[in-house]
Formats: sequence, structure tokens, C-alpha cells
Amino acid sequence: MLGNGSREARRTELYLDGLIAADERRAQEVPVDMDLDPAVLLAARQLRDGLVRIHPSFRFEEALATRLANGAARMKAGLPAGDAAPAAEPGTIATFRGLAAAGTAGQAEAEGSAAAPAASFRDIWPVTAFRRLPDMTTGPRRPYLVGGVGVGVASAAISLGAVYVAWRYSHPASGRMGRAVRAAHGRSSHSGRRSGVINGIRGVVS
Amino acid sequence: MFSKSEEGARTARLDRDRGLVEEARRDPSRFDALYRKYLAQVYSYAYYELRDHHAAEDATERVFMQALAGLPRFEERVDAFLAARAATAPVAAPLPGAIPAAETPDMTDASTFRVWLFRIARNVVANERRTYRRRPVSSLEAAAEIHSPDDVVEAAAAREAGTAAWQAVARLPEDRRRAVVLRFVDEMSTAEIAAILGRSEGAVRVLLHRALRSIAADLRGQLN
Repeated sequence: MLGNGSREARRTELYLDGLIAADERRAQEVPVDMDLDPAVLLAARQLRDGLVRIHPSFRFEEALATRLANGAARMKAGLPAGDAAPAAEPGTIATFRGLAAAGTAGQAEAEGSAAAPAASFRDIWPVTAFRRLPDMTTGPRRPYLVGGVGVGVASAAISLGAVYVAWRYSHPASGRMGRAVRAAHGRSSHSGRRSGVINGIRGVVS
Repeated sequence: MFSKSEEGARTARLDRDRGLVEEARRDPSRFDALYRKYLAQVYSYAYYELRDHHAAEDATERVFMQALAGLPRFEERVDAFLAARAATAPVAAPLPGAIPAAETPDMTDASTFRVWLFRIARNVVANERRTYRRRPVSSLEAAAEIHSPDDVVEAAAAREAGTAAWQAVARLPEDRRRAVVLRFVDEMSTAEIAAILGRSEGAVRVLLHRALRSIAADLRGQLN
């Protein structure tokens, strides 16, 4: 036989079940047990309204998803999942893989090659980690910069190098050696496929 | 007790995550679906317990990393879950005027994966609490800001109700607060809460009832 306390606790439980079920149905009417203490009923309703579920930030969700994906890839490779490195350290270059790369990766997985564990990861890397971004990577792989001061400095140095090369080609050396080379080849330094490429670079950096 | 076939039929319904869990065990990259499904629940539990967003994020990360690593060892302990429920289920006749037991979501809605995940969460959060105990914590009232209906009056009322509920829950003893959060925030059944907290269903029922009475008295005091 149930005691009074247990009996009342059971009533409260049934009321809470009804309350939550009504909430799920989005019902306006909530079942009422007239024998229950009205103060308890009021408290239950207030808790239902006041204790909301909280979602973490999108940034945190995606970062953790990437960490878990790394862990999953490690598990498939027979390594412990917990040793996975942080998803993206600032200033690192991550491979941004598209569907084309995914196709070849899937083939490698089917063949059971050594690259298979990492290859099977392709279906969550672009979809999960960047699932809300449009797929800009239908072409071959290209590096994707993930912030950081060091990356900015390196990028600037590469740009300066390209500018220098373009300038050097547009201003050929006037020394004796340069004249001798041009005379030997008997053509301008701005002709051919190579100069097309260089002009392309000049167009980009100008 | 159930016959073998009855038990099989019931257990098949028990874990609504069985498909996702099996997929994740075959291919760990499929764990993502379970992660997305339970992220907000685990995070909310951690946040209500730790009262700090950063601490809650740390705890959430640990929970899911441990769950992923432990997934190959996870066993769907449906039998134990059923046995615990059978042992603690009330045998008394239905109460007059009470809601029929068939409406209770316990059995058909239970998930042993969720119970397992929240057991991990309980341990992780307990460890985090030890770590963060000496640090000052931000106010739980921040959560009341989540309410943002278009109606300003409604928003203000909701915020007020939320704040009052927060304060009342924060004053509860640890075990009652935990049960209240699992019940109202994560909408768990008594059976699930019992399995997570390692108590009988009867004990959880009493915990919740007492928690509600304390909160009712608290709210009444605030009104007065």
C-alpha cells in the first residue's frame, strides 16, 4: 500500500507527464488534478515556462562537430578518439575538399587502401563542418586559410614576390648579358605562353 | 514479467536511437547525428548545473568526446532498465481522477542511449563543479533572456517568471535540482531520471514532488 507522500508524489508525476505531453501537442488545455495542491500546480507551470532549453553557439557547435569528426576518423584508423587535435588552430591551412575530391576518396575507401580511414571522413568534413556554406570547391583541392597573424604575413610576402617577378619581366635587364641573350634568341622577352602567364600575374597584382 | 517475444517486441521499441547508435558503431563518423540530436539537451543540463557558459561548453565537449570513445563499449541495457522499472512500478490501483498510465511516455519514449549519455554528463559535470567551485559564477538569470516573444509585455512577464523559476531552482538541494532540470528542461521520464541518478523511480518521484513543494513555497514567499 502506498503512503500518503508516495501517493501524492505519484499524482504529481502523472500531472507532470500530462503537462509535458500537452506541451508537445501544443495543446492550450492542460490536464488538472483538482486534488493536487494548487501551489504545486502553479509551481509546475512556472517551471515549465521558465526552465527553457538552451542551445550553445553555432561556433561552438561546429567546432565540436569538427573535433568529433577528427576523433571518428582516428577511431576508424584504429587510434584512440580522445587524442584528436583541436579542429583548426589559428594560422593553419586546412584542405577544403569538395564533392569531386569526395568521389575519389570514396573509391579509395572501396578499394580498402591505406588512405581509406581518412577518405571516409570526406562525407562529414565539408558537409558537417561547413554545412551552411555553399560548396565552392567543385574544382580540385585548394588550400583554405583559417585566420591568424602569421598567415597574413606569409600571404603578403607571397604577393610581394609575385609583384617583383612581374615587374622584372616587364623591365628586362639592360646589361651586356641580357642583350646577348635576347640577340641569341632573336625574339622579344614578352612573347609566347610564358609571357601570357606573366601578364596574367601582372593583371592580378596590379 | 514479459514472455520472450513480448520482451523482444518491447525492447525493440525501447531505444528510439537504436538505428543511429548502430550506424555510429559501424561507422564512427555517423556519430554526428547523435551529437546534433542531443547537443542542446546535454549543454542545457551542464549550463543549469554549472551556471557558466564556458564551463558548460567544456563539459559538453568532454561528454561527447567520451561518448564517442566509449561507443564501441556501449551496451543497450534494456533488460536492466526494464527490471528496474518493474521493481519500482507502483502496484496500487489507479488513483481516482488521475491521468491514465497509458499516457505516460515512460516506456515507449525511453532511450537507453540517452540515459547512458546523461550518466556520462552527470559524472563530467560533477568533476567540472569541483573545478569551478572556487570561481565566481554568472547569474542564471541570463537564461531568462532566452525568452524573446514579439509582445513586449509577454516578454517581460516571461522574463520575470523565468527569473523567479531560476532563483527557486538554484536554491534547491543538489539532488532535487538535478531531478527538476532533467524533468523540465530535458523532458525526461521518471524512469530515465532514476536510471541516470542511480535511484529508484519512487525516490525520484518523491524528489520531484518535494522540489515542487519547495519551489511553490519559495514563489509564494516572493509574491508576498
